[in-house]
Amino acid sequence: MKTLMLKLEPVIWLLFSGGMMIGGLLLPVFVLVVALGGGLGVVGGEALGYDRMLALVTHPIGSLVVLAAMALPVWGGAHHLRHLWIDFGGLGSDSLVGFLCYGTALASSIAAILAVVRLHA
Amino acid sequence: MSEKLKKTFIVTRFDPDKDEVPKTQTYEIEVEPDWKILDALNHIKDTVDPTLSHRWSCRMAVCGSCGMTVNGEPKLTCKDPLSSYGDTIEISPLANFPIVRDLVVELEGFMEKFQEVKPWIMVAKERAVEEGTTRQSPEELADFKGFSMCINCMLCYSACPVVSNEPEFLGPAALALGHRYNQDTRDEGSHVRNAVFRDEGAIFSCSFANECSEVCPKNVNPSGAIQQAKLANVIDWATSFVVKRGEDVS
Repeated sequence: MKTLMLKLEPVIWLLFSGGMMIGGLLLPVFVLVVALGGGLGVVGGEALGYDRMLALVTHPIGSLVVLAAMALPVWGGAHHLRHLWIDFGGLGSDSLVGFLCYGTALASSIAAILAVVRLHA
Repeated sequence: MSEKLKKTFIVTRFDPDKDEVPKTQTYEIEVEPDWKILDALNHIKDTVDPTLSHRWSCRMAVCGSCGMTVNGEPKLTCKDPLSSYGDTIEISPLANFPIVRDLVVELEGFMEKFQEVKPWIMVAKERAVEEGTTRQSPEELADFKGFSMCINCMLCYSACPVVSNEPEFLGPAALALGHRYNQDTRDEGSHVRNAVFRDEGAIFSCSFANECSEVCPKNVNPSGAIQQAKLANVIDWATSFVVKRGEDVS
């Protein structure tokens, strides 16, 4: 497990850094527009209507953005948790914690892919 | 003549021949307001207690010898003004290093880490003198100059949470130094260093706490260097499947 993680570090780090960027920059904008903007009625009516939103997320680019927004932040969180665990002295159980963290991220990514595929069905 | 101030110093003492664990000793002395922490320690050693051991040399933030922990923070004591502290100041050796005596720490194992990143210019073929000098633009120089300002004071190793947990971790200064040579347009050995960078206890062990850059007295920004090296290594790793890597260099 340790050797596999070491081999895959460049991929994991890329998913992590992508996830942190999206989690830090894109998700707050999503929340601002959809939750606050929609909730306060600033953005509303037809703009967030079902048909428009469906068209947006089933567009190839829209699907990719939604997929990245769902899947990548989990990788960001998983990598952070693993390193937090090491920082708190858990190096001895790094393999197990890495397996749990990245396993969860992988499962989430598969779930996100399935969710996006279902939008197109 | 400026007015003298009274300050209390709580200093870590450790004699390997007598002590099981380090203890502290308190010194109350009069200091000049413009003194640095190191001036106070030298004053204590010269006039109060000659048995106190601490390491120092240049007194101008160049030699990197006088790193210590001051009120819990790694500091270069010749650069650290007394005026930024209150009446009581705690001085202990740099964290994450074995103590030799009092405020002196053992650096030997750590210095070997610098060699692992091969901090010199590696080329496939030595350039003949007739070929003239190697030209480098100011922009190319700027890519690595900041990372070459390290004075090996080891404050970053003392501040780094990964160093304290992973003894094998190459650490901020060594990794930044390796990245400095990877960024140098005269160098042809980045594939050799990248293999070290991607191995255990190197760049991907860094959890980007950024403490190294916070404490660096020369603004080297080791954490920036490590993050740049991570991105460069992701690209290098991805392209290594299609482009064959590097010639023999020395």
